[in-house]
Amino acid sequence: MDDHDRLECLREESRAAWWKKIGSSAEMAGLRHEMDKELKQPGEHPDPSLGITRRTFLHKSLLTAGVAAGAATYGWFPLINTLDLAYGAEAFRFAWVSDSHLYPKTVNTRFVDKVTRAFKDVQAMSPPADFLIYGGDLAQLGDPVELDLGADLLKEVKIRKVFIPGEHDWYLDMGAKWTKLFGPSNWTFDHKGVRFVGLDTVSRGPDYWTAKKMTPKERMGHMATLDGSVAGAWAGVGRDQLEWLNRTLAPWPRNKPVVIFTHNPLYEYYPPWNFWVRDWREVHEVVKPFTNVTNVHGHTHQVLYNEVGKMRSIGMLATSWTWPYAPEGVPALTKCKVRVDPGDPFDGVGWSRLTVTAAERVENEYVMWRKDIIAEAPWDSGCADNINQVLSPRIADREWPYYGAYK
Amino acid sequence: MKSTRYALAGLGVFLGLLLVVTGGTDRALAHKEKHTPEQLKAFEDVFMEQVKIGDLLFHGDGATEKRLNVTLSKTGMACAMCHPFGSDNHPYEFPKFQEQMNKFATLRDMINWCIEKPNEGVKIDPDSDAMKALETYIYWSNKGSKLDPGRH
Ligand SMILES: [Fe+2]
Ligand SMILES: [Fe+2]
Repeated sequence: MDDHDRLECLREESRAAWWKKIGSSAEMAGLRHEMDKELKQPGEHPDPSLGITRRTFLHKSLLTAGVAAGAATYGWFPLINTLDLAYGAEAFRFAWVSDSHLYPKTVNTRFVDKVTRAFKDVQAMSPPADFLIYGGDLAQLGDPVELDLGADLLKEVKIRKVFIPGEHDWYLDMGAKWTKLFGPSNWTFDHKGVRFVGLDTVSRGPDYWTAKKMTPKERMGHMATLDGSVAGAWAGVGRDQLEWLNRTLAPWPRNKPVVIFTHNPLYEYYPPWNFWVRDWREVHEVVKPFTNVTNVHGHTHQVLYNEVGKMRSIGMLATSWTWPYAPEGVPALTKCKVRVDPGDPFDGVGWSRLTVTAAERVENEYVMWRKDIIAEAPWDSGCADNINQVLSPRIADREWPYYGAYK
Repeated sequence: MKSTRYALAGLGVFLGLLLVVTGGTDRALAHKEKHTPEQLKAFEDVFMEQVKIGDLLFHGDGATEKRLNVTLSKTGMACAMCHPFGSDNHPYEFPKFQEQMNKFATLRDMINWCIEKPNEGVKIDPDSDAMKALETYIYWSNKGSKLDPGRH
């Protein structure tokens, strides 16, 4: 065993340790396992065409670590930068940009610069993307000035554009301005053999403002506080939209690809920060018959990958700022992003390029404006870096009736 | 050994009596009695008061900033927007060599760096009430974490 091997061994050990620590709380792992069993009947497996490969950073030790965490049960492994799946479709590309959290230009120009860079990148794609999906949180405080600024910056992109809202766009005027600018908050369309669905996961929050006589600004302020619990479990699809989704998918062939865009992840990652959709189980019930479902989501501002049942979820980067990984519940299938430089506003943020190749494969590529996006060594990883960290929820959160109601 | 201890204890009693006798208002508050639950509660209250002020500052509360005469951010961003629940602060790793500053740094140095750089605010006095409150909130929110000074 030479020095190199020894170092590898050390890394291996610490990797195993941090996967164990961050992989999931026992409760979360149990819940996910249960869902997975329920959604995949005996003998049923995700479409073999969903074989996922990593184009970059593939390393055997990472695969073993994944198995050690007990999550990768199918013998196929998560993408990091690249997702390959095969189906009979014509080649095309699309782009995702989200979470630019614009303030008025006079307050913050950095966020303007960053989303503008992303839009310019998208417009410069060659061959061009067929469409851009803007995945929500265009504005920071739902201010019409912010939303107008966003709509103006979006003019940089000349290709087809579709939009779903984020909570920051919505809770000042309950979506009035956003809807005026961008139309209905949920929709569907078919494109070259794929059924695309845009879901609204933000507008159905519980009324936390009337009883407390909040002004619209106060209502928005609570919604904009990630680690506050006043707004409760606000992310949801709702009965009406679930029924709509069911009707929308009913005529679609079971083995044909479905891509669902949501602002929030369609699984339970970390409810105390609303990294979830409260009726995510019902969504999985609706898509259960389909073997090729991809959920692309924003809101979490970080590299994420998860599989529940036959649906895979990919978390997108924000253009504004990145969030730390939650203290628990990071899916074991996620390879964490690197620790970024807080001194560089352009670090840790970006957008995503998704390609369906002529070889009938879809690739997801994070564009982060830096060389390495995924961490190899624990000391460079946004997850492993937190191995000694124990967090306390805020005092205010312990007093509000919603606290503890997340589970 | 034993006699030294007795001598020291004797000296302590003497000094204590001297203080009581002289009755100086700024005398040291050495305690001789077992702690009562009320005392412990009072100590905790002092601490939690600082946690609450620090929480408000950390979450960008304008009124508290004004009261303490500090400007922690000019970008609209508050500390908690990148550090929900005080995560990714790693107070238990300080002091350490901090790459961004290219120097050996304390937690207070780091707090000031964040105020000045990402937040584009105005650096605060390292011994100020605002700094103590921020530090208190950051430590409290990371309570139970493993002390690991110097870790990168
Ligand atoms: Fe966001
Ligand atoms: Fe969001």
